[in-house]
Amino acid sequence: MRLIVRTVSELCMTAGALIVLFVAYVLFWTGVDADNEMDRQVESLKQQWAEDGRKPAAAPYRDGRPFALMYIPRLGFTWNKPVLEGTRTSTLKKGLGHYAATARLGGQGNFAVAGHRRTYGDPFKDFPELRRGDAVVLSDGTTWFTYRIDKGPYKTLPADIQVIDPVPRKSGYTRPGRYLTLTTCDPEWGHSHRLIVWAHLESTQPVDAGKPEALRR
Amino acid sequence: MYGWIWRHLPGNAWVRALISLLLILAVVYVLFQYVFPWAEPLLPFNDVTVDDQ
Repeated sequence: MRLIVRTVSELCMTAGALIVLFVAYVLFWTGVDADNEMDRQVESLKQQWAEDGRKPAAAPYRDGRPFALMYIPRLGFTWNKPVLEGTRTSTLKKGLGHYAATARLGGQGNFAVAGHRRTYGDPFKDFPELRRGDAVVLSDGTTWFTYRIDKGPYKTLPADIQVIDPVPRKSGYTRPGRYLTLTTCDPEWGHSHRLIVWAHLESTQPVDAGKPEALRR
Repeated sequence: MYGWIWRHLPGNAWVRALISLLLILAVVYVLFQYVFPWAEPLLPFNDVTVDDQ
């Protein structure tokens, strides 16, 4: 009898410790992991750009590989994240993910990007702070692309795939253009909805011309 | 359970304590490296796209 009680209580303690460890993993360790991984991705991007020299970046994006850096001053002056091709779970652990079926960066159509709201470095934690007029700046190593947010954050359901259409539904855009869509989950720790913001391409400039206006302080 | 493990470890109390510590560290390592990364995607924090489901 005593043995049974002892064993059961030991198992309960073990389960408790396991849960505490798992919470620590999700809240803390995924962030450490992702920050390291994103640093590695940024590093490999910069190296790649250095090797490519001035070649125009017209190569097709490779699945799971970084191809651009995103800056959003509203999310923090030092906020910058690598953008990788594809939105698989393993890809989103390393940075933001570009929906493979959508337009290329700066291209005609809709360049759509997804990112974690929470865990894995919390890249889009402050997503609801984004406002009309905010800049979203991207670089592919040769060109700076400055997008301006027109609408958002718009809350929708996970199945609403029209939000990443070339002319996104509900975005207020009526004509084809060069657009950007960002998606993340809502509520913060849930998955019942998605938050969306839309932006249009405002300007581009070669990297030689220095940082775009939106990134200067 | 833990009593059984303790009794089956070799050496005196200090050696056993050291081995226990190493065992705990090994378990935590395996959890963080293999078990939790497998379990975490089963939670909803990964659903950030609009087309996956």
